[in-house]
Amino acid sequence: MLALAKAIASLAIGWTLVALVTQVIAARGGGRRDYSRRAGAPWKGVLYSFTTGMTPAHKESVRLHPGKFALGLVMHVGVIVSIVGVVLLLVWPTGALRVLSFLRLVCAVALVGGIGLLFRRVLSSTMRAISSPDDYLAILATCGLLTCSSLFPMDARGQLVVLLYAGLLFVYLPLGKLRHAVFFFVARGDYARRLGYRGVYPPVRARTE
Amino acid sequence: MLGDDKDTAETAAQASAALARACRGLAAYHLNACVRCGLCGESCHIYRAEPTPENLPGAKAARVIGHYRRYATFLGRHLPRVVGARDFTPAALAELVDAVYGRCTGCGRCGLHCSVGLDVAAIIRVGRHVLASVGLVPAGLQRTVNNQLETGNQMAIPREELISTAEWLSEDLKLERGDDGARVHVDQPGRRVLYLVNPREIKFFPLSLMAAAGVFHAAGESWTLSSKFYDVTNYGFFAGDDDAARELTRRVMEEAQALGVQEVILSECGHGFRAFRWEGPNWLQREYPLPVRSVLELLEEYLAAGRIKVDPAKNPRRVTLHDPCNLVRWGGVSEPQRRILRRCVQDFVEMTPNRQDNFCCGGGGGMLSMSEYGDRRIASGAIKAEQIRATGAKIVATPCHNCADQLLEISKRYKLGVEIQAVVELVYAALT
Repeated sequence: MLALAKAIASLAIGWTLVALVTQVIAARGGGRRDYSRRAGAPWKGVLYSFTTGMTPAHKESVRLHPGKFALGLVMHVGVIVSIVGVVLLLVWPTGALRVLSFLRLVCAVALVGGIGLLFRRVLSSTMRAISSPDDYLAILATCGLLTCSSLFPMDARGQLVVLLYAGLLFVYLPLGKLRHAVFFFVARGDYARRLGYRGVYPPVRARTE
Repeated sequence: MLGDDKDTAETAAQASAALARACRGLAAYHLNACVRCGLCGESCHIYRAEPTPENLPGAKAARVIGHYRRYATFLGRHLPRVVGARDFTPAALAELVDAVYGRCTGCGRCGLHCSVGLDVAAIIRVGRHVLASVGLVPAGLQRTVNNQLETGNQMAIPREELISTAEWLSEDLKLERGDDGARVHVDQPGRRVLYLVNPREIKFFPLSLMAAAGVFHAAGESWTLSSKFYDVTNYGFFAGDDDAARELTRRVMEEAQALGVQEVILSECGHGFRAFRWEGPNWLQREYPLPVRSVLELLEEYLAAGRIKVDPAKNPRRVTLHDPCNLVRWGGVSEPQRRILRRCVQDFVEMTPNRQDNFCCGGGGGMLSMSEYGDRRIASGAIKAEQIRATGAKIVATPCHNCADQLLEISKRYKLGVEIQAVVELVYAALT
């Protein structure tokens, strides 16, 4: 049974990878050559965007909403840990069990973060107004994974549940909102690259700090 | 236009084809990345003025993203309600008009502060492109585009009016500078610089053009206007009509080559700078044969090289600087104007926040041409009014004529009692 669950999870991960890569290639649409004269360095823009540009001092949305941002950050750390755990369960089960039992607390804290975000989306009239069912589904699915990896004992039954659940999650991931797992990086990178090209990024204060 | 089912179906087909076109060139990255976290509100001057869900940048983007999902994603095609996917119905298109023209200036501040880091303004531009393709650009904005295409300038100023304005400005300039060589040059081939101006300078604020002519004269610059294509603005860009934007860019660049100039210098215009300097080559799909710069970069060069001498004591009142979004946040020109003002005025103070982080004044994105959104535009200037008031400045310098129009209205509406001036006017006033 465990072997079957591993096969399902492996296939689902394969599907996710192929689907996401295909989507990114399709979204790129052959890319775009910039014919304007360069005024800055694209790589500096990207470097800034993925480092200093994410800090509260430079990101107003983070500065003004530290609690909400922290909930999101904590949840995403837990999700990454959980996904690494699932992959390890497939390729190195003994190591995965050690890692997951060690990081169970991280996933539990992440679950609290996820539930907090779910409550925020449900309770805030503004958030409800801008949410589609997919937004709720995505966070519920994520909380489900965090529940599996933080609360279930990692015996054979627990592993079975985690792997089957992860299989379902990976089937859904490229279809709905969760595909931002990849598009976060490509969109952020694209924007920062263009601003770097124009000399907008890094901003003057980042250059002088 | 969207009266019967056939029209509606045709419009939807045109809109979805335009959407597919607009998504090439990487916009689809951003359409797939928004998580609707709702943290972007305070970055937007319109949301700050009226904090309703529909003014959230994420909600405005969602109007466009919903259509993208309907036509370009699996779940959107088969389970549209689950992912908030929307058809191009007449009602949805009307809502899209309100969201992307009426509630967004494309200033890009929300993108800079987006927790994901996505280009929200690029998404809004996709929406504008779609609407332009089905003829749903708001009438006032479309009229301005048409003026530019039909007459060569957005205010439809006849050539004779330009010539006569240039003549009387030249007379005044000669008197002021005490030099017969000081004048506004028009259609002079073989000059070094082709200078593009905002038609507003010809029609309503000629002293701005006179100031530029005076500074050019003092610097010994070889320059000319073109009577055919002198308009630095590009309302095709605002409308989301890439074909019009491309045509306007092509005409100016061909005129520059016909006149045999070595450089095109753009007057103080935020979107004109962005459109001509950064977007233009991509609309034309080729590199420009000659450089294009902002007049601010040229003025700074004059000062650095000692080609003009200035005395800041001639501008004794406190001056603050408004950063036009398209020049600074999208154009990367943030420092020349500061270095110029520090040398030309006695008391220069920054607004907070400033540079890339500055708030839009509310007049961008073609808002000034769309009278139906006038009240919202003025209301959205409240945060700018507070920024200005906090500086205690008597003069607001802004290198953008659209911003200047909006700032004039804001000053009146919020009783700021400030003068609005172009940077070149302060440089001219400081000339020794």
